[in-house]
Amino acid sequence: MIDIGLLASMVVVIIVPAVFVRAWPESAVATGLIDVASGALLIGIAVGRLVAVAIDDPGSLTSISDLLIIRSGVEFWPGVVAGIGWIAIGARRDDVSPAARLAAITAPALVAWACYEATCLLRDGCPGPVSSIGLRPDGLVQRMFPIGLGVAATAAIAAATVRRWHRRGLPDLLVIGLALVALAMIRSVASIWLPHIGDGLTRQHRTSIAVAVITSMGLVALRLRAKPAAMLDDS
Amino acid sequence: MVVEPVIAHESEPISGTSRRTKLLALLALVAIVGYAATRPSSESSFQASGPAVPLPEVGQLTELSADDFEGVLVGLRGTPVIVNIWASWCAPCRTETPLLERTWQAHRGEVVILGVASKDVFASSLTFMNEFGVTYPNVFDRSGDIRARLGLRGFPTTYVFGADGTLRTTIVGGLTEQRLAAVLEDLRG
Repeated sequence: MIDIGLLASMVVVIIVPAVFVRAWPESAVATGLIDVASGALLIGIAVGRLVAVAIDDPGSLTSISDLLIIRSGVEFWPGVVAGIGWIAIGARRDDVSPAARLAAITAPALVAWACYEATCLLRDGCPGPVSSIGLRPDGLVQRMFPIGLGVAATAAIAAATVRRWHRRGLPDLLVIGLALVALAMIRSVASIWLPHIGDGLTRQHRTSIAVAVITSMGLVALRLRAKPAAMLDDS
Repeated sequence: MVVEPVIAHESEPISGTSRRTKLLALLALVAIVGYAATRPSSESSFQASGPAVPLPEVGQLTELSADDFEGVLVGLRGTPVIVNIWASWCAPCRTETPLLERTWQAHRGEVVILGVASKDVFASSLTFMNEFGVTYPNVFDRSGDIRARLGLRGFPTTYVFGADGTLRTTIVGGLTEQRLAAVLEDLRG
């Protein structure tokens, strides 16, 4: 059975960032960027799916049909890591700085994620906490605050901010790190209000918090390492 | 695939997002909202009737006729019921079964989860239940009459009945935790 909502979401996720990339002068080699991003997206989905199946139902790892049911769950962060790895390897192969390529792709990637979240309207009607202001997801009686749309708006702001930093010449690693922190924090905060089963934190919530903490620590370490180097340069 | 190098920083003045890009983004937004607002609702008119039949014993896979299945739903009036139609060969069922089990453990007493194994071999269904340690009630639809009466379109499908016995929503395809949790929130309110 074809999931029309998911299919339409993926079309939007691919087309909208591509349109933005073409309009952004700093990504002048737009075709190259789109090729790289498409490969990373596919690898990210495949790895995310494999990890999800390996965690939830390892017995299905040997069944192609079980693996192909994408909607049944994709682990977000392993997918992101795989996508980053794919881009970095491709950059090395092309003799380009992996950090430079990743930094160039960061803002369009955030736009793509914002699009995916915004298209929750097509998939499930953006469920969230019960609220007097909001949408009524298909089949539900009560109005719910559309957390997905809030996440999409925040991700769009993050994309614009990251793009500005990149254009202003912020170091590539810093651009990538700050974007990852922003992504993890948005997901962590949104997870507080996303409907979930039981009282504990969801796996997605826990992993996003972990990524936010680890990436922030990495950025602090980067900053501390950069300071003595700058002092040596001054002397 | 030949990948041209990506330029990290611009070498020319930034002119901003073009008017065409903005227009395309706006059109995409309008299309999404328009689709979401006008797509048909998945509501169905199924309403269980007939004499009440007790809920099958938890942890067992009881074979049930369509009339008895309706009787079970009638007997459960006063409590919301989530009916999940599944089969051991269905891939998304493998993902959503642990989710339904967690829901049953966390919300037992507030809501009843009733699994219906259909279009399947009895022994395979039983093995599936044991594999996932299913403890919520399940029935076996040997004749296929239960799925026909519910108007099943694909596996898996989940039917959500309110405490008054009316069918509130039908979810065709695999359940996500967010969707299921939203349904529970909706039932509570």
